[in-house]
Amino acid sequence: MRRQLTFAIGAMIVALAGVVYTITSGNEPLLGLDLQGGASVVLEPEPNEDGSEISGEVLDQAVDIIRNRVDGLGVREPEISRQGSTILVQIPGVEDQQRAIDLVGQTAELRFRPLLQETVAGTPFASEHIALCAPESADDEEAMAALYSAPTPDADADECMVAVDRAGLGVQYLLGPAPLLVDQQSNPGARLTGETLETASARLQLAEWVVNISFKSGSPGIDDFNALAAECSNGTQVCPPTGTSPATGAFVGRVAVEIDGVVESAPTVGISNFDRGQVVISGGAMTERDAKDLALVLRFGSLPVELTPQESRIVSSTLGEDALDAGIVAGIIGLALVSVYLLVYYRFLGVVAIASLAVSGAMLWTMISWLGESQGLALTLAGVTGLIVSIGVSVDSNVVYFEHLKEDVRAGRTVRSAVERAFPIAFSTIVKADVASLIAAVVLYFLTVGQVRGFALFLGLATVLDLVATYFFMGPVIRLMARRDSMGSHPKRFGIPLVGVQTTQVSA
Amino acid sequence: MSIVGRLYRTEQQFDFPALWKKALIASALIVVVSLGSLVFRGLNLGIEFEGGTSWEVIAPGASVAEARDALAGTGAVAGKIQTVGADSIRVRADIDDAGGAAEVTQALAALADVSIGEVSVTTVGPSWGDQITNKARNALIWFFVIIAVYIAIRLEWRMSLGALVAVAHDIIISVGFYSVFQFEVTPATVIAFLTIMGYSLYDTIVVYDKVREIGRRLGPTERYTYTEMMNLALNQVLMRSINTSITSVLPVLSMLVVGSFFLGALTLQEFALALLIGIIVGSYSSIFVASAIVAWMKEREAQYAALARKVHLRSGGSEGTRMVASEDAAPGAARTRPTADRVRPAHAPPRPRKKKKKKKR
Repeated sequence: MRRQLTFAIGAMIVALAGVVYTITSGNEPLLGLDLQGGASVVLEPEPNEDGSEISGEVLDQAVDIIRNRVDGLGVREPEISRQGSTILVQIPGVEDQQRAIDLVGQTAELRFRPLLQETVAGTPFASEHIALCAPESADDEEAMAALYSAPTPDADADECMVAVDRAGLGVQYLLGPAPLLVDQQSNPGARLTGETLETASARLQLAEWVVNISFKSGSPGIDDFNALAAECSNGTQVCPPTGTSPATGAFVGRVAVEIDGVVESAPTVGISNFDRGQVVISGGAMTERDAKDLALVLRFGSLPVELTPQESRIVSSTLGEDALDAGIVAGIIGLALVSVYLLVYYRFLGVVAIASLAVSGAMLWTMISWLGESQGLALTLAGVTGLIVSIGVSVDSNVVYFEHLKEDVRAGRTVRSAVERAFPIAFSTIVKADVASLIAAVVLYFLTVGQVRGFALFLGLATVLDLVATYFFMGPVIRLMARRDSMGSHPKRFGIPLVGVQTTQVSA
Repeated sequence: MSIVGRLYRTEQQFDFPALWKKALIASALIVVVSLGSLVFRGLNLGIEFEGGTSWEVIAPGASVAEARDALAGTGAVAGKIQTVGADSIRVRADIDDAGGAAEVTQALAALADVSIGEVSVTTVGPSWGDQITNKARNALIWFFVIIAVYIAIRLEWRMSLGALVAVAHDIIISVGFYSVFQFEVTPATVIAFLTIMGYSLYDTIVVYDKVREIGRRLGPTERYTYTEMMNLALNQVLMRSINTSITSVLPVLSMLVVGSFFLGALTLQEFALALLIGIIVGSYSSIFVASAIVAWMKEREAQYAALARKVHLRSGGSEGTRMVASEDAAPGAARTRPTADRVRPAHAPPRPRKKKKKKKR
């Protein structure tokens, strides 16, 4: 008796404490972006060249870089996580979702290349420049010209490249190979890439947006950039003069910042020895956004691994909120219908069933809010459906017990003795069946991805809480109720029909 | 007394084994149709499995023809365009490059007169779908193996076989339904199918647990065959099955109906439809498929075959399922009662007479 009372009150206190904690700490369920709008993309790494899998360490590194990139967008609560061998990026409620996805997906290596020639797209490049790209076969000019007549975004760092401009203005660039690093001893064959950068930031300088770049010291670092700067500022063959330096007024060469066949920026270089923190890209009427995007690309341009977007999803906030509303309304109506049915069929037992549902629901809400707040685990539409479905499963635990009870009372037991006897039997059935659900949830959680995974998690959670509510709340409360004279002697109040039942008979 | 009233008072006793044969024929027929449809018609797979791009935008009053006009010149003009719910337009096309997808987004935003951000876009790479499908298949195989082992340990191996056949039956029929009516299979549908498996197993385990309980109690009396005990179990869990099905269907129905009043609730509706079918099929299979298989196998076990012969001899060889007498059906009522035809081993010495004979009943 005392134990049952402790259990029932304890369960209620735990449920209530959870609710109070959730409200006071301001925890709220984190909504998945299918419920609040936003962008998500699943990135998968290309396997290594020898076909081996990418290590988890490298992926974690990539996750950090992507997180920095997304944070640079100024988005609230982006969610970047590793799911097995893939990376899931979720950016809720972002204004220009397509831009966000593009920026995240930009995974190619950033390279600094000397600009050889800039033309209008479709115009052939000068043969003298092309000759620089492949001196050994320069005798066949036509073949070379054909080779460089269209963009070649897949060109390696040690090859020339035909690149396009970022804004899509119909400009094409012939770029030389990225120069070898000065320090070839520790990095044989390594070329001038984003590795040399320390950081980059956009700032306002004399009413103009500029990008300030910091290189690492030494090589790879500022020494390598200065080596290229020396060629360009002198307008040598490697970096022929193609623009006028605003600083010196001299006709000098330009350095192109290239990513994935796109020239992000191609500033003229008028000085040959920069301090490592003082490189500034300015001019070209950069807007604030241009400057910030460029700084982002410079900072996080190169990832340790090449990632390909496998699935990208943009959900408009209108559709997302609508789905959430529909889920909530459907849940409430469903719950109301179930409650009415339980009350009509089981009378006071129904009241307990509804209370038990409320206890497990309160615990569930606490868990979901806590998971959302501390673990960044979002409640998606699949999760919501999982929860609506779990209403049925939770009610079933009650039904299994109640039917057992009715059976026993019909067999001539008193309500009091039936209540005691039926619970362990019914609970053992409930455990057997719930464990089967749990196995399903665990297998699905570990072996699938995306939506199915979210569903499995919430189904599993609801199943565990169902067992808790059944054992610690529903069972004890009904046993306590049966002991009261006003209840125990009136099977009808338990929704147990009187016909053929002798309530006074004491069971053998 | 009405049948509902008798059910409520759990006085109604159905002869389920008599229906097993008809149910078997019906099930076999539906399974064959489902498999046939799967082979010849296949499934209408969503882009999540096949790759491609789909767009959705709220465009009140826009028709499919208008949408097609708006999309002229983009890669999606040859795609699948449909109206969804009251005001939504959904377009699906085989585009997986960003440029082509952006054109369609712009055209749809212009059609609906909203900003680009109001168009929902989903792009799936062609190899991604294969991976998802493979993962789901692996998960399914592992699930089956672990569940089979679990049931074999907690109950018995015949029951794990029966449960798996029943689950397979449910999944084939549910998937077959999607194939016959060519409803689109989305990840939501897959989740629903997985839930169906859960429901079906749950139901089946409840029945099995009951028949085991009854078997332990009535088996030693040697008065009923296994099939008769199974029938009693089915009748005793019938109200539970009905109630659980009703309480499970109510929220699902609410999802189905409510979903049609909200624009973004398509996933909800897709999910609800698959679940509705699954819950019905699942409840049916636990009563008519899972139990029939176990009863059939059990009757072929030496112990129960002998029991059945004995019971038939005693009851004068009458055919059909006899109902368990109500005093035996009640839990805790029946006790082991030695009967006259109990055979003792010949070499055993006569049992010494007890001083005080324990009175039975």
